[in-house]
Amino acid sequence: MKIDVVYRGKKLILEFDKEKVKVQDILKHLNLSRYYAFVIKDGEILDENEYIKDGEVVRVVNAISGG
Amino acid sequence: MKKCFKCKNKASVFLPQHRLSLCKDHYIQWFESRVEKTVKEFKMFTKQDSILVSVSGGKDSLSLWNALYKLGYNVDGFYINLGIGEYSQRSKELATAFSEKIGRKLYILELSDEILPIPEIRKVDFKPACSVCGTVKRYYMNKKAKELGYNIITTGHNLDDESAVLFSNTINWNIDYLKRQYPVLNEENGFIRKVKPLCKISEKESAMYAILSNIDYIEEECPFSEGATSIDYKIYLSILEEKSPGTKLRFYSEFLRNMYSILKSSEKVELGKCEICGEPSLNKICAVCNLKRKLKEKEVL
Repeated sequence: MKIDVVYRGKKLILEFDKEKVKVQDILKHLNLSRYYAFVIKDGEILDENEYIKDGEVVRVVNAISGG
Repeated sequence: MKKCFKCKNKASVFLPQHRLSLCKDHYIQWFESRVEKTVKEFKMFTKQDSILVSVSGGKDSLSLWNALYKLGYNVDGFYINLGIGEYSQRSKELATAFSEKIGRKLYILELSDEILPIPEIRKVDFKPACSVCGTVKRYYMNKKAKELGYNIITTGHNLDDESAVLFSNTINWNIDYLKRQYPVLNEENGFIRKVKPLCKISEKESAMYAILSNIDYIEEECPFSEGATSIDYKIYLSILEEKSPGTKLRFYSEFLRNMYSILKSSEKVELGKCEICGEPSLNKICAVCNLKRKLKEKEVL
């Protein structure tokens, strides 16, 4: 399954070798922790156990910034 | 998804360190009330004060500006264009758009008019970019706030920023820095009062507030912050947080409660005035005048 993700202003296509992908799988794929990152769809924050459907576009927010 | 603790509707947000689930509206309310409680706990300012928010265009400064504005404080913004290519251009646009949205003033200072843009300074000054940025931001924020007649400067430093700095200062036992690590730095010797109302709000909480409040902020990282040690420290602390939620808040809050008072009572660092510009400084020449002198020596200014 492929999922379109917007991450820090860039579009990414994430590939998974399973057909059902949860929010937590996306965070894991990007090596992010739920303690500082989350996933949003249509302006709503998704629960980490929610499934992402094929063709849906989600935005991943990594709250950690440097400086 | 869990239910909102307040209204039993579907929760949008779960805060593990507070063991709290909240819907969108109650989360926004929780955030603003936490900001107000922090302002009152540390006696940062009142509704009679003229406050200037240091705005970068990122989630923290815009969330802070939004929350203070909604809470009824008299608060305008100050943006420094650091001249870091597209990143600065975009963040300036977002800061300007936000100020127009809430109808508050945004003052813009072009670093290229005062010294040089950061990428030019970087060519001759090899200090980490974040350190140069911090120096010029602190200097011009203080100088301009005084000139414009504001009596409080507020910055969007959050719990992750503060605990990462505390971690770094503790690892290095940097006592002089630890003595100044308090969310309120009172006015003295040419410095105006500087406060951090987001010091008990995590970076994720701040980002969630920005998203749920429809605040358009710059998500891209500054290109010069790549590899900053503060990011490493934040990651280390998040590993501890994952094992034991609330660790960061405890580390920071208990430092303020138990350690800061001991440090504060020890010998105070005396501030003088810079011989060149008259701004407050620990040394005869302040960091910005020193930087300018260095740039002139290298004939780039």
